[in-house]
Amino acid sequence: MMKHHPSDETLFRFASGSLESGPRIVVAVHVGGCTACAARISEFEAVGGALLNGIEPEEMGEDALDRLMARIEVDSDSGGEAAQRSRPTRADVGIRLPEALDGCGIGPWRWIGPGVRWSRVTIPEDASANVMLLKVAAGRRLPEHTHSGCEYTQVLKGSFYDARGRYGPGDLDEADDEIQHQPVVDETGECICLAALEGRMRLRGFFGRLVQPFIGG
Amino acid sequence: MTMRADEGTLSPEEAIRLISAVAKGRDRAAFAALFGFYAPRLKAFMMRSGMTASAAEDVAQETMLLVWKKASYFDPRRAGVSTWIFTIARNVRIDRLRRESRPATVARAFDPSDEVDGPVSGEAAVMTAEREERVRSAIALLSSEQAQILRLSFFGDKPQSEIAGELGIPLGTVKSRVRLALGRLRLILDDLK
Ligand SMILES: [Zn+2]
Repeated sequence: MMKHHPSDETLFRFASGSLESGPRIVVAVHVGGCTACAARISEFEAVGGALLNGIEPEEMGEDALDRLMARIEVDSDSGGEAAQRSRPTRADVGIRLPEALDGCGIGPWRWIGPGVRWSRVTIPEDASANVMLLKVAAGRRLPEHTHSGCEYTQVLKGSFYDARGRYGPGDLDEADDEIQHQPVVDETGECICLAALEGRMRLRGFFGRLVQPFIGG
Repeated sequence: MTMRADEGTLSPEEAIRLISAVAKGRDRAAFAALFGFYAPRLKAFMMRSGMTASAAEDVAQETMLLVWKKASYFDPRRAGVSTWIFTIARNVRIDRLRRESRPATVARAFDPSDEVDGPVSGEAAVMTAEREERVRSAIALLSSEQAQILRLSFFGDKPQSEIAGELGIPLGTVKSRVRLALGRLRLILDDLK
């Protein structure tokens, strides 16, 4: 039973398009399995539709439509552009990954500390996004940490808990920079999460300290 | 053929009829009517989110080209026409911003507007129309200040610090006002269900 969802602000930013690609894909994974959040996003997208509908229009260039129709002619002649992209490399990480990650590159597991491994997730259209899979062994306590931006963590397998509650499969943990947390993985088994940090700047938070030596910067 | 930019209104039903005409018959007159209504609004939308007039016009063109190409994917059970077109424009804008920040990017792989939803029931189209109606009423029920802050945060990337400057209030206040406005929107939306 899912208990933890993205905040309305995050869903709103997802719908309006202002959520960065890293957090965006983590939220997309959550929404892929959560009808409540999917419905909320549809509502917020409908806000976008209503705003579009009601906005004071700006006149387009005089020949805008003609130019577009000319492009349509060219397009239908050439049969459209179905450029095949090379499939990104995907390591086997031992679980079935959610559909929202289908186009992403998945790196092999790398050791970063006792009982903790990570795998780099690459979003093809935005290679600078900070996204990763994190695998933590049963009963492991993660070092206490704070972070500079918001951190989004979607549980894919297993569970962890901290002062705010327990996070199981399907839950999304949204931790802003004011939260100090020390998550502990449940004794029942390892925990695999998808995590993203907001911000392109140098990583400074928990994941940053763990991962920085591997990705440089 | 030319269309006046400020021309009139388009009912949700008429918009659906036009989209199906484009999808089924590649109907250019129907497409021109959609273009006449939406392109100037897309341009305005993008300008509000901080784009120059010419960049905004490009996004409007790109979006309308996709409307032509993807018309057969439009599904009234999932969204109204304005909402569907908004999501296409949103994705065009995201792509564009990414390309500007890093020139050598490959094309997008993840397009939320292509997402496949679960099975849809027979009443889904009605429910969608109701949802869109509900959202319109909810926006109308917000205080003008709340509607304004939602509008400002919706038109894209404008950092909250900039919104703060525009409204002459501290950054922390913008955050809490956005939170409050969304809370109220949620209440109204759930209430109207
Ligand atoms: Zn949810």
